[in-house]
Amino acid sequence: MQRPLKLPDACLISFALIGSLIVILTIMGLLTITVGQVTDLPYFLSVATESKVVDAIVLTMLAGLNAVVLLLIFGTPLAYILARTDFRGKGLVESIVDIPVMLPHTIAGIMVYILFMRRGIIGEPLSQIGIIFEGAYLGIVAAMFFVSSPYYVNAVRDGFEKVPLHIENVARTLGASRFQAFRLVVLPLSVRHIFNGSILAWGRSIGEFAAIIMIAYYPMVISTLIYYKFTTAGLRESTAVAFAMILVCLVVFAILRILMKRVGTYDDRV
Amino acid sequence: MIEFENVSVTLGEFRLNELSITVKKGDYYFIIGPSGAGKTIILEAIAGLHHPDSGRVLIGGEDVSGIPPEKRRIALVYQDYSLFPHMTVFDNIAFGLKMQKLPASEITRKVTAILDRFEIGHLKDRSPYTMSGGEQQRVALARALVTEPDILLLDEPLSAMDQVNRDKFVADLRAIHQENGLTIVHVTHSREEALSLATRVAVIIDGTLEQEGERDEVFRKPPNRKVGRFVGIENVFDGTVAGSGAGGSVVTVGGCSIRTGDAMPGGCQVCVFIRAADVSVRHADMIADDEFNCFPAKIEEIIPRESYYLLGISCGISLFALATEQEIKEKGFAPGQAVSVSFLPEAVHITREDAHSHSQFPSV
Repeated sequence: MQRPLKLPDACLISFALIGSLIVILTIMGLLTITVGQVTDLPYFLSVATESKVVDAIVLTMLAGLNAVVLLLIFGTPLAYILARTDFRGKGLVESIVDIPVMLPHTIAGIMVYILFMRRGIIGEPLSQIGIIFEGAYLGIVAAMFFVSSPYYVNAVRDGFEKVPLHIENVARTLGASRFQAFRLVVLPLSVRHIFNGSILAWGRSIGEFAAIIMIAYYPMVISTLIYYKFTTAGLRESTAVAFAMILVCLVVFAILRILMKRVGTYDDRV
Repeated sequence: MIEFENVSVTLGEFRLNELSITVKKGDYYFIIGPSGAGKTIILEAIAGLHHPDSGRVLIGGEDVSGIPPEKRRIALVYQDYSLFPHMTVFDNIAFGLKMQKLPASEITRKVTAILDRFEIGHLKDRSPYTMSGGEQQRVALARALVTEPDILLLDEPLSAMDQVNRDKFVADLRAIHQENGLTIVHVTHSREEALSLATRVAVIIDGTLEQEGERDEVFRKPPNRKVGRFVGIENVFDGTVAGSGAGGSVVTVGGCSIRTGDAMPGGCQVCVFIRAADVSVRHADMIADDEFNCFPAKIEEIIPRESYYLLGISCGISLFALATEQEIKEKGFAPGQAVSVSFLPEAVHITREDAHSHSQFPSV
């Protein structure tokens, strides 16, 4: 039996047409790069396997992951406080959390630099005990942590807010301390949001450039390397590096998306 | 057991005004009031989940403001059941026992026992959201009771249930209260629930305690018109006390002189309450002259209710009476029929009406 053809209405059709611009732009960009690289595969492979490129990609991914781990530790409690409490000045705290989203990243870079440089308020005492941020791995992590924090905090806060207060209250009356209720009830029910927030923050960290080069031009993260290649070796080489990073990102995020389908699905109705 | 001393809470639009109530050990205490009156806050204040702006909450004679919810031995069952969605039924019920750090074998024994008690053993490996509302409610109750709390708090536990499950659940609650003499505080807007379960009742309207007392007192002798209407007294009139004696008063309502057991000085403006269940309706020729409060009347309408009928009757004033289907058939009641109505003076409750509330409710 043939199903009658269902035609969407004019509104939906026009919205779809207008909205497709965004999708098409991304596809065009990706396709142009891909076609260029695939037709010149030997050159791409020679660039992509350069140790400099491989190192930069690994460094970027690791530093991003490191920033996410720090966010899990510091951002999760903040997200809980913002989700569950009401206090004077909460609006102000919320705006402060969001500042890194609003600021041009060069400014974020200057802020991070001023704090973490050798003579900075944070950088100075830490350099005394051998923890150096300037021109170092930790500087990259610090910059990534700063710019990606709002994405993590807001996503996780959303998750905590979606856990009904009543469920947490019941856990308390059943004998759980607030922390036990958090660990045994709120946290498991927010796993999806925490996972989501982590991916957002990781993605944001990987993509950071301006804030990083201020404090740590070396070691080169992938964005720094691509910009460096672009200005010194030209478009051809920098595009090859870019394509290598695109492939890594696509694979990683595809895996993460598949993983996410299996995580915390019981909370669909929460 | 539980005392509120002038407890005030302001939460958004809702306000609780200097509430003072006393729940005695072993009470099945009902807090009733219109929906959206913030009754849940009262339960959360007892459980320690909400801290009042002023006033004190005492449990067992002790101020509990410094005691966190997990140390109060008070179980709370919300209207939405609030089962942990990431745990099976078994783990939901075991949660409180795990918090008590009981050995695993003991936990299994206790959970199994309560699963059997509530006849939900077959659900033990199910996930909460795959179950019906009635099943979820039983799990929530089992989870609350397995920890053997001193006090059980119930937040509108029956409102989301169909009638069949509700009757069953009411029977369960009655059994739980009687079996272990558990102190229960039950919040609802349904006077039917209170009628079938309560030992004592508090009526809270607009954040203010209007009445607290034994169940029958609250349902028969409201302190004012607001409570009378809320507890469902069908016949509420404005009247004037014509005269008073040792045995009570005579009140003029419309054209009728009604005798009441309550005494009130002559000339008082009063509110008159007569429950429909206390009004008897007979054939017109069965009028007895020596009886008090006996009036010739006419049936205006017969309104079917769930398990009985409401008779709208006019006898100078409009009055409601109850009748069973059997009665209506037997006596051949029909709209337009002439009958006689009567009610005992003791069934007529009056309260003094102040000018303010009088202006809000024009006379019937």
